[in-house]
Amino acid sequence: MGIIRIGHININVIDIEESKKYYTKVMDMRITHEDEDGKVYLKCWDEWDKYSVVLTPNDSAGMNNIAYKVAKDSDLDDLKIKLENYGIKVTQRDEGEVIFCGRTLTFNLPSGHEMILYAQKEFIGKDVGDKNPDPWPDGLTGVGSHWLDHALLMCELNPEAGINKVAENTKLMIEVFDMKLAEQVMVGPNGDVQLATWLSAGNTPHDIAFVGGPEMGLHHFAFFLDDWADILKAADVLGKNNVKVDVTPQRHGITRGNTIYFFDPSGNRNETFAGLGYLVQPDMPTVTWTEEELWKGIFFHTNQPVESFTNVYT
Amino acid sequence: MKSFMYKLKMLGKKNFFKAINIDHILKSMEKNGIDIAPNGCYGGGCGVCKIKILHGETQTLSMSKKYINEEEKTAGYVLACRAFPKSDIEFEFVGKPQCKTKEKKKYGFV
Repeated sequence: MGIIRIGHININVIDIEESKKYYTKVMDMRITHEDEDGKVYLKCWDEWDKYSVVLTPNDSAGMNNIAYKVAKDSDLDDLKIKLENYGIKVTQRDEGEVIFCGRTLTFNLPSGHEMILYAQKEFIGKDVGDKNPDPWPDGLTGVGSHWLDHALLMCELNPEAGINKVAENTKLMIEVFDMKLAEQVMVGPNGDVQLATWLSAGNTPHDIAFVGGPEMGLHHFAFFLDDWADILKAADVLGKNNVKVDVTPQRHGITRGNTIYFFDPSGNRNETFAGLGYLVQPDMPTVTWTEEELWKGIFFHTNQPVESFTNVYT
Repeated sequence: MKSFMYKLKMLGKKNFFKAINIDHILKSMEKNGIDIAPNGCYGGGCGVCKIKILHGETQTLSMSKKYINEEEKTAGYVLACRAFPKSDIEFEFVGKPQCKTKEKKKYGFV
């Protein structure tokens, strides 16, 4: 057993006060800790561990690292060996060095993104508790994010120079972490260049996704909502709060999710992602999208390129 | 807040356009049909709307240092989504322009 889900994402924000206001009031997260160097830790109402988003004050936007939770402590030993045998340099850190977490492994994906693995994080519990709970808590003021669902990382792709970090990352996630390749986009003259991949650690269509671009970065991280009605409500909330929306409510062909893309106050892209999409099973065939239907895969209704979707990321 | 109208002129365009000081310069570009105005993050984080102020004054909010370093800031570079006019302005667009033609990329996104 390896990765069970996304654990947290640590992002840079330029104006910490604006960001705190946004992630609490609009995204409906709760601040669970603030440390002396200004970092802010938040969780959603439907999450039980201490935090899923870390806001780090910085002078530019983007991601510092992304953490995944593994099922049990001994998995860290097994995965350290597997990663090192694969040729990845791994740093092991003691309990507490990643705040509120047990011991951790840190390494860089072939794309350069920093990834952390942990098995234990301080427990807080859901807002509704775990005894005879209400279906949702009182006091939601924004989109009502349930949990941090997944992230999409932009990876360097330059096929003519022989560079495809999407393919390298994907191979690692499959071979070391036994993740399931749910969907992929294949492009190029022979249709053999892996442009984008969606990988599942459990039963949902993706826990992480990789897309090729000119340089590495953070494309977006997504919060889960129940259904289409919640997506429409979320879009209303974004409008009311003058949040910059990149793509209005729409369905993805890929993953079948219902989506909105928008930007946090520092320009990091967020998504609200609703619906299970479909159930991933270990023996489910991988879905492949071709270059001709690439945009239909991304935005199923409009089936049109959205330039900012590929150009704008942090 | 009292609002003021200013005249903005983009290098390479014949005519100026009117802009209100409570709109950031990118928004004024969009409102006035400047077709290369990119659709970016509006948060000073992604860098696509970079401009150089040639004449005039702006008031700016925080901007990513990755795209506007101290040297560039001194030289008059700003991100249009974080800059508000304080006078008439002439500027040069140096960011990633919105591509109106359907440019076919060889490998999907690159």
